[in-house]
Amino acid sequence: MASINLRALAPIGVFFLLCIVIAIFSPNFLSVSNAIRILNASAIPVVLVMGATFVILMGSIDLSIEGIVALCAVVTASLVLNDTTAANLGMWAIPFAVLTGGMVGAINGATHVYLRVPSFMATLGIGFVCLGIATAALGGFPVRIADRGFRALTLGRTLGLPNGIWVATAAVLVALVIQERTRLGRYVFAIGTDEVTARQSGVPVERIRILVFVLAGLFSGMAGVMAAAQLGQGHALIASGRLFTTITAVVVGGTALSGGVGSVLNSVVGVLIVVVLTNGMVLMGVPPFVQQGVQGFLIIVAVSIALDRRQLEFVK
Amino acid sequence: MGKFSRQTVLLATAAALSSGMGAASFADDMTLAISMRSLSNPYHATFARGGEEFAKSVNLPFEVLVTEGNSEKGLADIRALISRTNGNVCINVDPNDSPDAATIVDEAKAAGAYVVTQWNKPDDLHPWDNDPNYVAHMSFSGVGTSKEITNALIDAMGGEGGIVAIGGILSNVPAIERKLGMEQAVADTDGKVEILDFQPADWNETKAFEIMQAWLTRYGDDVKGVWAANDSMGIGALEALRQEGKAGSVPVVGIDGTEAALSAVEAGEMAGTVAWDPMWTGGMGLSLCHAAASGAIDITAEPHEHREFYGTGIVVTPENIAEFRERDTSFDYGDYWAKSTGQIQYQQ
Repeated sequence: MASINLRALAPIGVFFLLCIVIAIFSPNFLSVSNAIRILNASAIPVVLVMGATFVILMGSIDLSIEGIVALCAVVTASLVLNDTTAANLGMWAIPFAVLTGGMVGAINGATHVYLRVPSFMATLGIGFVCLGIATAALGGFPVRIADRGFRALTLGRTLGLPNGIWVATAAVLVALVIQERTRLGRYVFAIGTDEVTARQSGVPVERIRILVFVLAGLFSGMAGVMAAAQLGQGHALIASGRLFTTITAVVVGGTALSGGVGSVLNSVVGVLIVVVLTNGMVLMGVPPFVQQGVQGFLIIVAVSIALDRRQLEFVK
Repeated sequence: MGKFSRQTVLLATAAALSSGMGAASFADDMTLAISMRSLSNPYHATFARGGEEFAKSVNLPFEVLVTEGNSEKGLADIRALISRTNGNVCINVDPNDSPDAATIVDEAKAAGAYVVTQWNKPDDLHPWDNDPNYVAHMSFSGVGTSKEITNALIDAMGGEGGIVAIGGILSNVPAIERKLGMEQAVADTDGKVEILDFQPADWNETKAFEIMQAWLTRYGDDVKGVWAANDSMGIGALEALRQEGKAGSVPVVGIDGTEAALSAVEAGEMAGTVAWDPMWTGGMGLSLCHAAASGAIDITAEPHEHREFYGTGIVVTPENIAEFRERDTSFDYGDYWAKSTGQIQYQQ
């Protein structure tokens, strides 16, 4: 386990500071119902950052998130009871969609490793291909979901909490086990810290890189399933804006873009910071014209506090 | 050169996408083309289909150009098309941004091509100042229709209470006009209806979802109605309400007439939407352009209200949706202004 120092707790500090400031302006912020709304809005981003964190810890980046989420949302919507295809697989659509995400992840990894294309370019290109497939397959129209049972995945509640929150919690647990208890998790840190040393110590770098992209694809696929359930449809534009939120959340949570430093739990805090910021802007009544500026400023403040720069030799 | 070959590839792709294009097209045939943002949204996909249907009806080659939200790409593709056809082309274009229209008109004039523009153009650029190549500009009244749909929302609320409003990208002309129409309708209630808050969600349903959630915290049951500048954001807000078991109890209105919104109106979850007519703007825009270019009509002799006109936006509510679904959508390509609802007015 990574050694705990005060700096590592900084993102949590930023989070609570933010909550206090918002609560001063808007007491409603601290209500239970708002807490549930914030957790609910965090569900899809949390699932996305689980994959993105491993990729970034490894020193790579995954820009195909929006493409995979859109493609998998379309696959999901097309396989459950819907207005476009004759399929009616119900919950069995989920494994198909998640595996689609995993397959695209494998293509990401293979392109990056075997064609030696930087992950930035490889994933950007493949993300566009996914969007292209989603657009061409539907001709620009959405597939609307008619399966109420499937939509319970996000609309239903268990123990008073929306199911999406439970799905996200399960995703965090899976990611945490991978990070803390598996060889894959340790190798990711080894590669991110120093790939040359890792290779010399016998880490199968290529295989691990591909596996991590598969993992990221699986999480993005699950996020696609959740997006389809949440909005009741699948279409090519369903994920627009998700990429920026995801990368921001990972970095705000304190994971270094240069690799080797960070944790999936940090990223959960990162998502909460980003979501609370959006929620708080509306609650505090910040005028729309200045919101983006304030958000950008606060994100830079959050990153400068949260990132443990003593562990970084250089920042690029 | 590299640039030329890239454009050729893009054009070839666009041409391949337009399935209606016949294999044999003679060099002296007039080419018909549609240009718009992307094929990944229902409005533009239908707009392109409208153009394709007209091209089929006159048996002329047809191409679809896609800007992908990039003005440079949009202009480069149109330039390439004009030079490839030696100006023997009719283009029905929804410019990516208002200033693009001026450049497109200049290119068309220089080459003798004909253009009809949709939605976006500078207020001081007029077809009659650019005879005969700038045939017409078509749009929908953002202020007027937004006022009508806001009134439908106010009716559904029982005439009073607080509303929250979700806007589009703040600098877009339709976003500005629709917001203005909504504010005018609210002002006409003499304070019975109040705008609790206005937030832009950039036409994005996920953003609208998150903003709606925050509003439920901030205003709770004081939210008696939700106004959205388009249907995507309206659906995003509706799904946030559904999460809290409030779908159907708080009326939502949107604009665009997407299938998702129309179904929500049928289910009583949305109080209304405004249906545009992209089959008509796509088809009739090209038909009018073709008529002017081929000499079937003398466009320069037509009055201003035939050169800059609004199409028909239909306010669809639970009361008239059955009728709307049954309506006759066919139109006569030769009856150019049958669906016009008046000359375009400019806001100061």
